[in-house]
Amino acid sequence: MRSPTHPNLSLVIRTFTILAMAALCVPALAQGKKADNDTEQWRYELEAVKTGIVGTYQVKVWSYSENATVATEQAKKNAVHGVIFRGFTGNGRVPGQNALAGNTNLEQAHADFFKSFFADGGKYLKFVSLTNSGMIAEGDRQKVGKEYKVGVIVSVDAANLRKDLEAAGIIKGLSSGF
Amino acid sequence: MRSLLLGALFLAAVSTVFAQVKKPTLMVVPSDNWCFQNGFILEYYNQGKMVKTPDYKRALQENSDLLLVISKINQLMTDRGFPLKNLESSLKTLESESAKDAMSQSKGGSELSESPTDKLKKVAKADIWMQMTWTVNQAGPKRSITFNLQGLDAYSDKQVAGASGTGPQSYANELAVLLEEAILSQLDLFNGQLQGHFEDLFANGREVTLRIKKWESFGGDLESEYGGEELSTQIEKWVTDNTVQGRYSVTDATENMMLFEQVRIPLYDASGKAVDTRGWARGLQKYFKEAYQIECKLVMKGLGQATLMVGDK
Repeated sequence: MRSPTHPNLSLVIRTFTILAMAALCVPALAQGKKADNDTEQWRYELEAVKTGIVGTYQVKVWSYSENATVATEQAKKNAVHGVIFRGFTGNGRVPGQNALAGNTNLEQAHADFFKSFFADGGKYLKFVSLTNSGMIAEGDRQKVGKEYKVGVIVSVDAANLRKDLEAAGIIKGLSSGF
Repeated sequence: MRSLLLGALFLAAVSTVFAQVKKPTLMVVPSDNWCFQNGFILEYYNQGKMVKTPDYKRALQENSDLLLVISKINQLMTDRGFPLKNLESSLKTLESESAKDAMSQSKGGSELSESPTDKLKKVAKADIWMQMTWTVNQAGPKRSITFNLQGLDAYSDKQVAGASGTGPQSYANELAVLLEEAILSQLDLFNGQLQGHFEDLFANGREVTLRIKKWESFGGDLESEYGGEELSTQIEKWVTDNTVQGRYSVTDATENMMLFEQVRIPLYDASGKAVDTRGWARGLQKYFKEAYQIECKLVMKGLGQATLMVGDK
């Protein structure tokens, strides 16, 4: 025979579960938000790794976060952000590339477009993939003060990213005006 | 009323079409340096002097790596909305027109001689020449490619875009693989600069050169007075009025000749028609005849160098 549960006790258990889950989620969400802020403030570094297949750039993204997992996840967003607005320098014999945006105020001029483009699960994910299943090489996960600096190699589909931004009227194509 | 509206709409559509600027054409060619290093040279006598020039035809027939590079660049440029002009087809057109050219030169009595490259420029009518050079570097079993891509404006002969570098060392035996990697790593950088050049064209016009010379048979010279001022001043006034923001520089001027460089001509005229150097210089030829009843002969070199011979045709 099942022992009768007190209705108040059940309510207490449910409330406790919800609060516990919320307590677990809040730091992760806060860190994600902080990571987004870091991206907006250009707090990441890109370096050329090698010339990818047609139209792709293979870059190493160094991202910062107190949580190493968040830093890894943020690498994809940072890489696309960097290819659009920042470009990257060469590394030895691998040449760097200029930013797709010729105008330095492009991000502010199209703030609404880029807000949804770089939202979590946003369109930027279509143009980036982790190489080597996101495995981080030894020495690419460094503790700097209270946070981690994590280097992840990603491949950015620059050709299709450019086409998409051109179609949306965000950047000019090579043949625009003719 | 309805037909009036339709008419207005049609006119608006037509003017939009005309207002569009002709898209510049691009053509990939191997550099002189590459041709000479690989033995693709054409030697001919020009005014008694031996001149060497690249033999593009033989290079295309005998070097398959060259074909691969041209084809790869073409593929990537087509993807960016710029299909390239084919060098091989342009050479064939040049061959078929060479006899005709020889006849017109002797008849015209022009003192300007054109090299085969100048003739090709005129026939191909490519606005930008993408000139490439590559060298294979060998370090033990490893090889690497030094690649240099230059975008040369056929009008001004200036380099308007460029990308160069030495790729990573590789054990790969296939040269084609190394070349493809070199193109992929350099072409976006090149296109970035090319885009800057196009933006400059829109803002400041196309850069050309204009020479004014006089025939011996001409009664006066460029310092003779016409319309109350020296002829050279009248020419300068016309050039000022017919260039984008009056941009040009007179780099040399005597009573017998004038040299205008960095002349920025508009991409299209008031009626929306695309303007080339010949068409633009014809305006000056017409001005001489209408304003001062002076006949002139217009001689072109390549796409961007016009010479107006004052005093006769």
